[in-house]
Amino acid sequence: MDATRLNADLVRVQGVAKRFGRTTALSDCTFTLPRGSVTALVGPNGAGKSTLLSLIAGLAKPTRGEITVNGTPVRGRMHPDVSLLTQRRPLYDHFTVREMMRAGGAINERWSAERADEVLGLLGGVDRDAKVGTLSTGARTQVSIALALGRLPEVLLLDEPLSDLDPLARDETLRIVMTEVAERGTTVLLSSHLLTDLGDVCDNLLLLDEGRVQVAGEIEDILTDHQVLVGPAGAAPPADGTVVDTSHTVRQTTVLLRGGTAPEGWQTEHPDLESLVMSYLRASRTRRAATKNGRRAVSG
Amino acid sequence: MIWIVWRQQRTLFITLAVGLVLGVAGVLALRAMMTADFTGAGLGGCLRDVAQSGGVCGADPNGAVQVTWTARMRNGQLLMLALPALVGVFIGAPLYAREFEQGTHALAFTQSVSRTRWMATKFLVTAVPAFAAVLVMQLAVGSWIEAAGSIGPLQNGRFVQAVFDNDGVSPAAYTLFAFTLGTFAGALFRRTLLGMTLTLGVFVVVRSLVFSFRESLGATKRVVSDDPFAKSAPDGAWELNGGYLNAKGEVITNRLEISGKCIGNDPTQADPQAIEKCFRENGVVKSFRDVIPADALGSLHLAEASIFLALSVLFVAGTVWAVRRQT
Repeated sequence: MDATRLNADLVRVQGVAKRFGRTTALSDCTFTLPRGSVTALVGPNGAGKSTLLSLIAGLAKPTRGEITVNGTPVRGRMHPDVSLLTQRRPLYDHFTVREMMRAGGAINERWSAERADEVLGLLGGVDRDAKVGTLSTGARTQVSIALALGRLPEVLLLDEPLSDLDPLARDETLRIVMTEVAERGTTVLLSSHLLTDLGDVCDNLLLLDEGRVQVAGEIEDILTDHQVLVGPAGAAPPADGTVVDTSHTVRQTTVLLRGGTAPEGWQTEHPDLESLVMSYLRASRTRRAATKNGRRAVSG
Repeated sequence: MIWIVWRQQRTLFITLAVGLVLGVAGVLALRAMMTADFTGAGLGGCLRDVAQSGGVCGADPNGAVQVTWTARMRNGQLLMLALPALVGVFIGAPLYAREFEQGTHALAFTQSVSRTRWMATKFLVTAVPAFAAVLVMQLAVGSWIEAAGSIGPLQNGRFVQAVFDNDGVSPAAYTLFAFTLGTFAGALFRRTLLGMTLTLGVFVVVRSLVFSFRESLGATKRVVSDDPFAKSAPDGAWELNGGYLNAKGEVITNRLEISGKCIGNDPTQADPQAIEKCFRENGVVKSFRDVIPADALGSLHLAEASIFLALSVLFVAGTVWAVRRQT
């Protein structure tokens, strides 16, 4: 049973921490990505999402802890089974798309020109003779994805692949990724702010805040594990389970509860993905503001 | 990977090739014009090897033709002096800095190229054409200077700064130094403009500094002449020091005092034989020159080049570190 679980987890992150000088970007991150899963990586700005992705890719070294992909540890250079699409989507602007793909073939040990070309041909298709610098943001993203998928990765890491895209290009980009998942069973971890888009395509959630994993697992399980309680203002808080977030209005109190059971007198329902993530993010912001105010009070 | 670097730097390489063709053609044309001008002015006899003519050929150094061409050759030498700095500033410094600035380094690093290989390939593919250009220009300008023979810059020997710096292994050493300095500054600060500025500044300072102690890099030899008043024939050596010796062979230290006493206030009124006599009466027996002899030219070039080579090795190591360091 344990052995099959080990095999099923393509990416294992164990106690990973990353510090840049005195600032801690990640601390004690432990989670796994099951083979073939599509995981949404969410968290507020500066939560450590990009750092985590570059650590898994092997672009940066963790300060502590270990990451393995497909059973082999990731150490200091790009893991051959991983493709990473970074946020800036760097490309050589004065190359043509065709030259860019030739470059992809030249700097990869495993490279499928057919696969890259196939991705370029998807949707409206990208003009192979256009200079990369002249492409629209959507087409540029498509070229970057073609470069990432030409490596025939088992793990595809996407850092904000949908940012700067108009709604149509956003849908199309997600369609390319989902086609890849359907055809090749690629494991995907993608970070994004656009929760509505993610709900339809992701089956797993990884919620990162202040460099720590807050929630990790299958979205369905997570949603079942949480309850939104609505009760009268001043009602006694739930006795068991973990209160994630509480919000008050004059008449009522709303609580997001993890585990546990709702006490008498509360209305309960399971949250949807968006409201769950929003509650976690709001709670983290409140917590951060409180510590900041506390510090100010001490120093003042 | 080689193809990628070539494609990335295509504009630079084309510019370099065009500049080189124009430069060589220009210098060769100047050389032909100069030879014609000198021959026309009756100085054809001077356009021989300096050694054959003994460094003198009786030409009027203030003649119009000679003044014009001396100035032009001086410009050619200055261009050659600037060339290594230009390579460092415009080719070395942007090599990595521009990629870090535009984020395209991540493009290579997220594929399966190691940082070291990326660094090394970019370095070599760019350095080789840049070096070839400098060396070809060195040969072209060198042949022009050489053609002026004993009325050109070579009449004062090959140790003169403008000649020495453009001779032998020196241009290659300066270029290597400037290029590696540029790549290191660029990779370290990851800013093109900062890298270029630093490269120029450090290059000028280090070059001047090493030049200031160049004479101590060569082995000096004391040449003693039994006739203290004989003019020494030019032998291509670099004279660092000179003076008179007494009967015991010791250097006469109060030389100014003696000449003040013997020559008097008006040197034009003095009688040369009386002066010589006066000098001898004051103990002057022989004269000496401390020189770096002409045959030490090559080893002096090598000694200086090895300083720049050592610095370049440090810069390359620094660049490897700066590129591999993971933030």
